[in-house]
Amino acid sequence: MSRVAIRVEGLGKRYRIGAIHKRHDRLSEALMKAATAPIRRLRAVGKPSPADQSIWALKDVSFEVKEGEVLGVIGRNGSGKSTLLKILSRITEPTAGCAEIRGRVGSLLEVGTGFHPDLTGRENVYLNGAILGMNRKEIARKFDEIVAFAEMDRFLDTQVKHYSSGMQVRLAFAVAAHVDPEVLFLDEVLAVGDYAFREKCYARLREVQTNGKTVLLVSHDMASVENLCSHAMWLDGGQVQAWGKPAEVVRRYIPKGANPA
Amino acid sequence: MSREIIYFLTWRDVKVRYKQTVIGAAWAILQPVLTMIVFSLFFGRLAGIPSEGVPYPIFSYCGLLPWTLFAQGLSQASNSLVGGANLITKIYFPRSIIPLSAVLVGLVDFVLAFLVLVAMMGYYRIFPGVNVIWLPGFLLLSLITSLGVGLWLSALNVQYRDVRYTVPFLTQIWMFATPVIYPSSLLHGSWRVLLGLNPMTTVVEGFRWSLLGVGRPPDAMCAVSSLVALALLVSGALYFRRVERTFADVV
Repeated sequence: MSRVAIRVEGLGKRYRIGAIHKRHDRLSEALMKAATAPIRRLRAVGKPSPADQSIWALKDVSFEVKEGEVLGVIGRNGSGKSTLLKILSRITEPTAGCAEIRGRVGSLLEVGTGFHPDLTGRENVYLNGAILGMNRKEIARKFDEIVAFAEMDRFLDTQVKHYSSGMQVRLAFAVAAHVDPEVLFLDEVLAVGDYAFREKCYARLREVQTNGKTVLLVSHDMASVENLCSHAMWLDGGQVQAWGKPAEVVRRYIPKGANPA
Repeated sequence: MSREIIYFLTWRDVKVRYKQTVIGAAWAILQPVLTMIVFSLFFGRLAGIPSEGVPYPIFSYCGLLPWTLFAQGLSQASNSLVGGANLITKIYFPRSIIPLSAVLVGLVDFVLAFLVLVAMMGYYRIFPGVNVIWLPGFLLLSLITSLGVGLWLSALNVQYRDVRYTVPFLTQIWMFATPVIYPSSLLHGSWRVLLGLNPMTTVVEGFRWSLLGVGRPPDAMCAVSSLVALALLVSGALYFRRVERTFADVV
């Protein structure tokens, strides 16, 4: 019986949508508000408070992933998939519930996260490796392997701003895949690479999986979800609609007769 | 692990700063040297501001060194979180590393500019005594103050975007409130205690005392300054910790 790698219980995340165009407050306004608060409170007596403009990007999501499992998360845009990954990667805090993760986490939520455009590929491998949790010795040891995986040796001393997005994602994935995490989060990053590179990434993910590592990936590519994942979860409106065998969940997500493309 | 990120983020900022510049690291020297020349002409020559018995150029340069380290660290740190938004929203690591490395980047410039000071001391034949062993203490006090204020402003800047407009203004006023271009001996009695509330007063005067041997040795003012600097750091760190959880949602 393998151990639980990811446990999520009653997870919820609320965003205020009324504040979208005015996310950044002004300090001067905040001070004024604080100063005039007593007066406003007196005036507001008896009046209804303005409606709470908020949206639950995730609501009451619970699931478990065991070590060595690959969970594919599918769903429409805005269904909460990325929010879930952000909470699991500790980037943002949940409004409700909790998430527990066992082991070293590697996450790749966007092409070239942490890449600095003015630095060369070589420099960015070191920088990104450190941000993802490797130390210098570790990076130096795996450097050749990373570069070989990305097939980028010719461009190592070129600034990353001159890379195509495909080249960036190759290098970024290569670094993330070599962090040797126990739990790996991937958000739709494989879509950018070409066919051959994608196959290579799949092979790497299977290898990672057979080593007992856990993967959680968000994807719109149903074929790869069915091929790679041991489980799938369909999110809609921030809630779990279906959970189980990938083929089954995909079938429910894409009803019969609909064109999956 | 955090140490590695501090190292690499600092190293990244240093690299990026001097990439695509013609004279590269010479900028680190040029800025304080040119400021020193302008100060010497206007404040030293024309205004005749006293300089504790040493030539005005070395008097002002010795003060400008820690001041530049402080002011640069402060302004870089306060913009660091907003500037690092793409990191903050995509990856997790302790957020305080970002302003911390922004402050540390200034040390590279400081070392380069310090070499000029050494050359100037040779030129004016001013040699430091044993007091020079206190120099790292004053350097540390400057970094602590910079980080303390930097933590406050960087976190505030995430929420309140008008902070960034106040920072250049703040550093300018702060410089005039610090004895960079004038000696604190121009002020008497209770004014001096008031100056001690500004840790940078102790830093600037301490640099001159330990390197050039002018001014008073550290006294009660130094203790007041250290307490203020620590209070800034602790309160800044507490405030930062309280709001850092929401950075990714707000930035």
